[in-house]
Amino acid sequence: MQILAAHPLRTALSVSGLLIGVAAVIVMVALSEGAERRLLQRMQAMGTDLLVVNAAPAPRVAGRPRQVAIQTTLRAADAAAIVEENALARAAAPAVSRSAVVHWERLNTTTTLLGTTTEGLRIRNIGAQSGRLFDDHEAGAQARVTVIGRTVVRALFGGVDPVGRLIRIGQVPFEVIGVARPLGTDPGGTDMDDRMVIPLATAMRRVLNVPYIHSIFVQGRSSADLGELERQVHETLRRRLDVRAGTPEPFLIQNQAVLLQTERGTASAMNRLAVSVAMLALVLGGIGIVAVMLISVRERTREIGLRRALGATRRDIRLQFVLESTILAAAGGGAGMVGGLVVAGAAAAVGPWDLVVPWSAACAGFAASAFLGLAVGAIPASRAARLEPIEALRG
Amino acid sequence: MIEAEGLARRYRKGPVVVEALKGVTFGIRKGEFVAIMGRSGSGKSTLLNILGLLDRPDSGSYRLQGVDLSRADDDEVSAARNRTIGFVFQQFHLLERVSALRNVMLPLLYSEENADAGAARAERALQTVELSHRAQHVPSELSGGEQQRVAIARALINDPALILADEPTGNLDAESSAGILDILRRLADAGRTIVLVTHDRDVAARADRLLVLEDGRITADDTIPSSSRRRPADVV
Repeated sequence: MQILAAHPLRTALSVSGLLIGVAAVIVMVALSEGAERRLLQRMQAMGTDLLVVNAAPAPRVAGRPRQVAIQTTLRAADAAAIVEENALARAAAPAVSRSAVVHWERLNTTTTLLGTTTEGLRIRNIGAQSGRLFDDHEAGAQARVTVIGRTVVRALFGGVDPVGRLIRIGQVPFEVIGVARPLGTDPGGTDMDDRMVIPLATAMRRVLNVPYIHSIFVQGRSSADLGELERQVHETLRRRLDVRAGTPEPFLIQNQAVLLQTERGTASAMNRLAVSVAMLALVLGGIGIVAVMLISVRERTREIGLRRALGATRRDIRLQFVLESTILAAAGGGAGMVGGLVVAGAAAAVGPWDLVVPWSAACAGFAASAFLGLAVGAIPASRAARLEPIEALRG
Repeated sequence: MIEAEGLARRYRKGPVVVEALKGVTFGIRKGEFVAIMGRSGSGKSTLLNILGLLDRPDSGSYRLQGVDLSRADDDEVSAARNRTIGFVFQQFHLLERVSALRNVMLPLLYSEENADAGAARAERALQTVELSHRAQHVPSELSGGEQQRVAIARALINDPALILADEPTGNLDAESSAGILDILRRLADAGRTIVLVTHDRDVAARADRLLVLEDGRITADDTIPSSSRRRPADVV
């Protein structure tokens, strides 16, 4: 033990490789599991059984400026039709959305205005964290009430409770009746907490003054049947919108489940890559320990010979070196664990990851390094111990 | 104490096979102080290594306190090295980064008994070699003579029946050499069995009995007259 302490620099160097390796593995596993957990949460928030029908962008006709950026053929009634005609559709809701500047007292911010039915709130998993959602009665009465997301709360109200206050879109005042449960970012990268939600009728008649809708949210009965439902919705809408064969459809259907799965697949692949690199670092660190232990034993062959001459058995020698290298490796692995957890924690605080403490990875890394230390210490020491003491003493 | 019969040992030196011992037979009784003298290459160190269980003979038998350890297992041989024999090397072979006291205590690590009283025993051993005042120093802070005294104290700590010394003064100046030989003489006078290997006639003269080794064989085995066992007159 004193021998190791006597070479602090050499000991530190040999241990550092393993330390970095273990730390790297822990950080990678922690971050990738944290990212995966975030993703799963979002998937749950989004629902894996959701189709979003969006009006397609309006085609540009040369020379003529566009009146509206999108096709204007979707109607609220199309949503009801989808549910009636397709058994695989559990529910459907029409929606309009547009960017809007919203004011409160002297402050303003640009956010997304979303108008939908109470069914739409359910389908999109919009809930009230404080306050309440609007009900069918308010929806029917074109009430000027809104539920706002936390990004809007932060931008306009700071720490003040927005419920009960009046905000304005243009000249139209709205009462904030609730703050929405945070939903995070959707697969397209949009911040779903940066919006204000109002009843569909209010949006169409009082704010936007349009007869058409931008989107239809369709909830399927199961994610397995979503592909089939997508096809059926295509059929229904083509028929209702009188789309001729050969002409492009005035709508686009987004299969959220597919999007999320793709994102998950990509994330998985990246994780595997990152963890592989980290494992490689771990192996290299282990090799570092092996190298140092081999050199150490070679240098200490004379010492081994002396100890044998003084009465150490081969078992004593093996034990001594195995203990030394195990402690060395365990210390490196342990420090790596601590370091890795600290870095992972810091990264989780700063980045879009949750902190997941990868106990299994940490313990595996620690055990692997301890075992490595064990194996590495035993073999060269055994060889030296098998020499006749006088041979070992000669170096 | 020691019965050696027909000891032979050869080893490889590159392409050549050297026959270091060619059949050595002798006995040593308890309490004797024997010097084995010979030129370099005579096989004297090889013989001492075999006596000290640091090497095995290729043929012949070696009985220590009546026991032939040539077919003994590692545990038995290690126990004999630890308890029965105390070896003093020409190059000292102390642990570099460890204090004199802890160097002396090293054999206790491999003794089966509880080493609680170890430090006290080590201190007594250092007293025997008159080095108590340097107990906490590391070898690099000690002179050659002091280091060899630490080595002797280490050899004494388990109260061995046999002390073996391989050219103990080979790396020392005249004054330190004299000091070491005085210590060995004192131990012999107190009844310890000591076997000393040397190429120096003056060193050999401090012992009771002289074995001469030439080319792997014993060529002489004489008692040394007591008058020459005392320290030779100092030459300025």
